[in-house]
Amino acid sequence: MNKKVSKKDIAQLLKTWSQQFNVLAPSRDSGVAAMAEWDGKDTSFLDWYRNTVVPPKASFLPPMEAMFRFRKDEEGYQIEPPAKNGQKQLLFGIRPCDARAMAILDMTFEDAYKDPYYLEKRKKAVLVGLGCTNPCESCFCTSMGTSPTDPTNVDLMLIDIGDHFFIEEVTAKGKELIAKTSGLKEATKNDEAEAEKARETAYNKVSRKLDTEGIKDNLLESFDDEDFWEKVAAKCISCGICTLLCPTCYCFDINDELVKGEGTRFRSWDSCGFSLYTKMPMENPRQEKWRRVRQKVCHKYEFYPMAFDVIACTGCGRCIRLCPVNWDITQVIESVPARVKGAK
Amino acid sequence: MEQKLRQEAKALLEQGKVDWIIGFAPGSLKFTTTPLITQDKDDAEQLVINPFITNNLANFLTEIKGRVGIVAKGCESRSIVSLIQDNKVARENLVILAVPCPGIIDLAKIERLVGKDRDELDDITRDGDRVSVKVDGKKKEFPIAQVLFDHCLACELPTPQEYDIILGEPRLPAPELKVSGQSIASLKEMTPAERWASWENELSRCIRCYACRNVCPACFCQRCFVEETEPQWTLPMPHWQDNLIFQIIRNIHVAGRCTDCGECERVCPVNIPLRSLTREMYDIVGELFQFKSGMDKDALPLMVHYEQEEAEDFFR
Repeated sequence: MNKKVSKKDIAQLLKTWSQQFNVLAPSRDSGVAAMAEWDGKDTSFLDWYRNTVVPPKASFLPPMEAMFRFRKDEEGYQIEPPAKNGQKQLLFGIRPCDARAMAILDMTFEDAYKDPYYLEKRKKAVLVGLGCTNPCESCFCTSMGTSPTDPTNVDLMLIDIGDHFFIEEVTAKGKELIAKTSGLKEATKNDEAEAEKARETAYNKVSRKLDTEGIKDNLLESFDDEDFWEKVAAKCISCGICTLLCPTCYCFDINDELVKGEGTRFRSWDSCGFSLYTKMPMENPRQEKWRRVRQKVCHKYEFYPMAFDVIACTGCGRCIRLCPVNWDITQVIESVPARVKGAK
Repeated sequence: MEQKLRQEAKALLEQGKVDWIIGFAPGSLKFTTTPLITQDKDDAEQLVINPFITNNLANFLTEIKGRVGIVAKGCESRSIVSLIQDNKVARENLVILAVPCPGIIDLAKIERLVGKDRDELDDITRDGDRVSVKVDGKKKEFPIAQVLFDHCLACELPTPQEYDIILGEPRLPAPELKVSGQSIASLKEMTPAERWASWENELSRCIRCYACRNVCPACFCQRCFVEETEPQWTLPMPHWQDNLIFQIIRNIHVAGRCTDCGECERVCPVNIPLRSLTREMYDIVGELFQFKSGMDKDALPLMVHYEQEEAEDFFR
């Protein structure tokens, strides 16, 4: 039997979980909406939260992360791993689009090379999803294999049914957590029906649609259409917003911070939108803006499907909402020449 | 105004007077526009002029080859003039289509006033000095001083001085400096320690997306100092101290070029109040050198010339 929790009791629930986890919840305290350490009382996000600006990937692949410290002495270089943060993170309120993005990121970080920095945090974490009731105008999740209440990639999924949240226990990890959590109520048949209604209502509120059928092949066919790519790239200003704040973009740069014989190696978010990203001693294969724009689109809609059989976009809409020039990925995908030709 | 713009733009392309038109087209989200950069005369039909034409289109001039017809509000025209002064664009390659600008609506201010996100609003319309917002079927009215961008409230040149075709009646400036300078004033009221803490807090959010730099027409360096590795002036990762160095040097580099178009602050995805730095620099430039950027295309750029009689007490 499923459980439910009263909205009034969310603070209590998070307090309980705080004993075992480092609880993160949506917050605007830093000046921008992001997942942040829960302060022990504030649940006002339940009123304002639609989605964060900074995607939850930041809790696993931070904008900047120390990889190790190093020191040079008579015997050579001494390497010191970073202080381990043994705490397990519980992300409360992650949206289904961003949870799917985490599953997409896992594919890369668990592939041929197992990335210890990412996986260490990721494997221990619990994701508690919160279904959307008010998707944004820029959202198109229902076209990207998920939906505003999709439980697939979270451990627990909460669905708004008025005064309560209906709790879907998705994974063993989620079930275990619920079993150990006291104070939850049994959901009734009626609650279940309400949850189903909420799912349908939210689904129908996502108005932006994108047909991605065959897009991988379309992009392959139009890859060399320089005129097209130049045209769609014209207004792009080559900033890093759409990539750095994309929940599925994972590129990072590595730099050393050096102070007299010792230092720290950091990795930090990087973007294929930057012209320096591919600069090598002899050449830069993506010197021109249109090549970088093409890379961004194709990585998500062509190369990722080739490698992992999934499009690396979940329709969260951040890149559309936050773009300084309203460069809209859905319009670009729809206008790929091979696609337009095929539709005729 | 819009009809005239479309006709003029189409004619310019048809008659071969320009190779490109840069203007604004409707955006894909509510209350947005998007830069239209085109060589196709039929695209002229998409051109719009409305209270949401936010971008500073002068930013695109340095990367486009050929003759350009460009839609310009007052701030854009100043950025264009500044680029001419710096020899980045040639006046003879431009046809400036001047828009006498009544100010642009800051959606973030409206969101704060009505407590809803922009996509939850039904309509935003402007009538003279008032803006009405329709939300949940109800109409709320606000004076423009509450809803225009701060930089628009400080605007000294709503109508371009330098232009070829003017679209509509010229408008006179009506600055509301007190309202527009509020955030800078509150920073100035702080003690140095408080101000330092405030900037630490603001700049800790920076993710180094460089949107502030890339959207800025005055930031036209081929290679930005943050990308230099020998010497490395600042690390490319977002330590707040490195972010601070980036902003300080960027501000010094655009001193005398920044026209207070406010784009850096508008586009910042993490809400860093960047105009508090740029406007302060703009005022310092005005005070120290009696110089206003982008006003006179024949004047030498501020930072590249020096006159004997310039007082040396500048080197304090």
